[in-house]
Amino acid sequence: MILIWLRGVLTHRLFRVAGAAAGIALAVGLLAILTLFLASASASMTERAASAVPIDWQVQVVSSRDTEAIGKTLAQIPKVKAVHRARYADIAGFQAKTGGTTQTTGPGQVVTFDEGYASDFPAEVRVLSGGGVGVLIAQQTAANLHVGPGDTVTINRTGLGPADVKVAGVVDLPDADSLFQAVGLPPQAAPQAPPDNVLILPGAQWEGLFSPQQQARPDTIRQQLHVRLKHDALPSDPVSAFTYVTGMERNFEAKVAGKALVADNLGSRLGAVREDALYATVLFLFLGLPGVALAVAITFAVTSSGAARRRIEQSLLRVRGAATKRILLLSAAEAAVAALTGVVLGLVGAVLFARGVPSLRTAAISDPRLLLVALAGLLLGFAAFLLPAWWDVSRKTAGAARRSVVRQYLPLWRRLWLGVALIVAAALFFWMSASTGYQIVLAPEGVAATSVDYKAFIVPALFWLGVALLTLHLCAYLIGQNGALLRAMVAPAAGPLTTIVAAALSKQSGRLAIGIAMTALAVSFAVSTAIFNTTYNAQARVDAELMNGSDVTVSGTSDRPAGPHRAILASLPEAAFAEPMQHRFAYVGADLQDLYGIDPARIGRVTSLSDAYFSGGNAVDTMKRLAASPDGVLVSEETVQDFQLQQGDTINLRLLSAKDHQYHAVPFKFIGVAREFPTAPKDSFLVANATYVARTTGTDVSEYVLLRAKGDPAMLAREARSVLQSYPSLKITDVGQAAHLIGSSLTAVDLGGLTTIELGFAVLMAAAAAGLMLALGFVERRRNFAILDAIGAKPWQLASFLWGEGILVVAGGFVFGSVSGIVTAWMLVKLLTGVFDPPPEALSVPWCYLFAVLCFVAGSVVAAVLLARPSAGHDAEHLRDF
Amino acid sequence: MDETLIAVKGLNRSFTSGNSERVVVLRDVDCEIRSGARIALVGPSGSGKTTLLHILGGLDRPTSGMVYWPGLGAFEQLRPRMIGVVFQSPSLFPALTAAQNVALPLILAGEAGGAEAEAASLLDALGLGDLADKLPEELSGGQAQRVAMARALAIGPRLILADEPTGQLDSVTAQLFFDTVLEVLEGANTALVVATHDNAIAQRMDTCWVMDHGHVNSPFPQ
Repeated sequence: MILIWLRGVLTHRLFRVAGAAAGIALAVGLLAILTLFLASASASMTERAASAVPIDWQVQVVSSRDTEAIGKTLAQIPKVKAVHRARYADIAGFQAKTGGTTQTTGPGQVVTFDEGYASDFPAEVRVLSGGGVGVLIAQQTAANLHVGPGDTVTINRTGLGPADVKVAGVVDLPDADSLFQAVGLPPQAAPQAPPDNVLILPGAQWEGLFSPQQQARPDTIRQQLHVRLKHDALPSDPVSAFTYVTGMERNFEAKVAGKALVADNLGSRLGAVREDALYATVLFLFLGLPGVALAVAITFAVTSSGAARRRIEQSLLRVRGAATKRILLLSAAEAAVAALTGVVLGLVGAVLFARGVPSLRTAAISDPRLLLVALAGLLLGFAAFLLPAWWDVSRKTAGAARRSVVRQYLPLWRRLWLGVALIVAAALFFWMSASTGYQIVLAPEGVAATSVDYKAFIVPALFWLGVALLTLHLCAYLIGQNGALLRAMVAPAAGPLTTIVAAALSKQSGRLAIGIAMTALAVSFAVSTAIFNTTYNAQARVDAELMNGSDVTVSGTSDRPAGPHRAILASLPEAAFAEPMQHRFAYVGADLQDLYGIDPARIGRVTSLSDAYFSGGNAVDTMKRLAASPDGVLVSEETVQDFQLQQGDTINLRLLSAKDHQYHAVPFKFIGVAREFPTAPKDSFLVANATYVARTTGTDVSEYVLLRAKGDPAMLAREARSVLQSYPSLKITDVGQAAHLIGSSLTAVDLGGLTTIELGFAVLMAAAAAGLMLALGFVERRRNFAILDAIGAKPWQLASFLWGEGILVVAGGFVFGSVSGIVTAWMLVKLLTGVFDPPPEALSVPWCYLFAVLCFVAGSVVAAVLLARPSAGHDAEHLRDF
Repeated sequence: MDETLIAVKGLNRSFTSGNSERVVVLRDVDCEIRSGARIALVGPSGSGKTTLLHILGGLDRPTSGMVYWPGLGAFEQLRPRMIGVVFQSPSLFPALTAAQNVALPLILAGEAGGAEAEAASLLDALGLGDLADKLPEELSGGQAQRVAMARALAIGPRLILADEPTGQLDSVTAQLFFDTVLEVLEGANTALVVATHDNAIAQRMDTCWVMDHGHVNSPFPQ
């Protein structure tokens, strides 16, 4: 009997079964793609985090006698790829005679690396000028001593006489913070700044100069083993990778039993990425789950749209003696067809799509979680068919089940205004989240355990449910009242039939309200996802520009500044504007900070200054204040706290003078706090007027030139590299490169790829919700339209009933959906504040996309109306139906 | 005026069933309906009565043969003004009340002004006034069929085609109702073709067409 039933269902109800399968396919497909993206994103985050760590472990040997043994122990760890020795010597200072003057620095360090170090740790040393072999001097030290390749530098060794070396090249140490970190300090200890003065010697030369110092003053010599682990052996997700690496490190420490201290740079980086990984998961869930929930709701709506006919069929079966078990078995058979079809389509679609996305890792396709997704799809299919069937069979008499249109009684949730109550509850929970600063992801430093405050999910979940119920409530009420608003809305389509069409629609207020609510949820999903994505991209761009400085930045040094090339750079075809910016160093007390000298009136032409960068005022006002105070300076909040500064206080900064190459105190006036500034580091920095800095230091050299592009920054960067190819010491970067290097590894998430998919799904589901609901309703009532045709309705009169429904679904869906989508986006941006750096000032709304969504929704409704129009000559067949 | 409303010549109608078998429902039917005629269409179940009514009403097309409506105007104008139809199974629009269903042909014909009032009046005349505000699902089968007849009468058509209009009524109610219908039709010179199994109804009609395996016997007016 089941086969006969199935044959009948597939012959006469194929559209409904296909509709349910489509809903299941949407849910499964979206869930599968989210899973694939999450797996791929996690793996990317781990890979990017690992590749961004120049030295995975720095093992500080306690006693130099144990170096070889510790090295052997490290080499025996299967996941260790390479081990190299680095030696550090503390010195009293450097000295150099240039131009008739003698420059002397403060204490510094002399470092040497063993053979092959550069090949395994290529990011530690970047050659700026001269050769890369021999005695290499750090850029800042060279600036302090005013030396270059070929000059002689005197090393004032600790406890020994001075030694002269000849400089072969000037280098940059991009990873100085890590290279010179104090290994073994407690986690809560303040990070130590790297030495200001550094020299790198070949091994033999270092040995010759500092072996005696090691004998005389062993406390001034350190040895480290720098370890590179096999990154491809790491687990793919950051949380597991963090646990793996830290476990391996602790195991090693146990083996060496106190003979070495380990700075686990890779573990620390992965620990920082854990939070981003959890944010990525939260992001996916926040953005993706509503779509999955909507697809589930559409599936249930599709199966319930045929409820009247199903109830009548079941009542006929019951009248003829079918038991509950038999009826449910028949429903289960129907469910199995829809569920299996939907699951297969959804998974195949997701996998095929994944193969076509370059950023999606192939390995993600075999993620075992896809089996769970398939199981969820099957459960959805069976629930969508069996639950309503069970409800009808167990609660209604056969007679009652035969009614297809009944007087509506107000359900309890409407009488209690449950929709409003849920929205109010969402607002309360949102307010509670706000009071904790929206900390929804917790990843304590040094602790393996991580947690997500899933209570934050309550806010959008309650809001969505509340909006859905409120939409249902209001639409059912407004349509059911058959008032002036309903007639006004259908009048454009119904014309002289307005009263009849409105009366007919008012009796179907429940079904129409469901269709409007589904469409509204789909539109809300599309709108909220689009706004969040656009806002995120805008902030990512802001963050990239914050890091890079401008569309294109040409970075030089005090020796080889970019400033002299400003004119030629400004004349490039793709360049809109070019402005110089000084990058000096200044001592604030004992703390060396970056100092940026700008022209406050013109800096805005090449870089965007957000209000969020400055405390207590907006960017425009702050720049005006700086321009009005020639000796004004913007400092960090930390500096304000450390020195207890008040507005207008004088602060003496020690700047390097070009005349005598010595640091001299220069008075500045504190006028404001800068939290962020283009190209500035995350820690403390200073911003001042370039003219004042130039006057007080004796040099107006600008180390940087910031460029605003007319069009594509990458093209401008190529042009800049072309004209500056004779100056290899100048570094040219564009904002696109910076986007990949931003401190937050969330850029590895490929949010753009994910949200493109979600937006596509959103449009599909908006179209499906509107069109499918209408189409299925029309299919259900084909006989009624045949009756209308039989009693003399003209085609345009028949169509007016259809268009009337369509107008209600499109208008109601879009109005309710847009409002709730904007509110949802605002909530998501607030709840996911941790994702943004810096937080956005306002939402960015993609108007073109929203217009496209409206067009798609309207288009699907038009298609449904056109498909539902009865064809000529088939009236009699439909009249025989039933 | 006694004019030919519908003329049928050599009408054949066949259907293809689910297993591709061809089923001939009407064979070589020749008939004519004049204004004011009272025709009973009788025959066993499956003899083609409903199919013939559908073709006469323009709801279906013949497989071969010709159907003319010389007295009713162009094909597009047949319904609702010229022909009113009462179907075998309840055919009320489920979302409209009885009064709104009766008013529907008037509104479709562009006579929306006063349509519901006229519909209520007609329901009263047919003894169905207390059903005016009820939905079709709240009516019994017999009540629904009577409302359907009222709908067919609402616009004053020249021909009414009724398929078992009293099929769900008991014999007394059927007689009383049919008397009322004939009264309403009396002055309007409206032709009436009724497919029926009820001999009492058939005997009240002027002409009786007997359907037998797709053929119509005694089709011409007597």
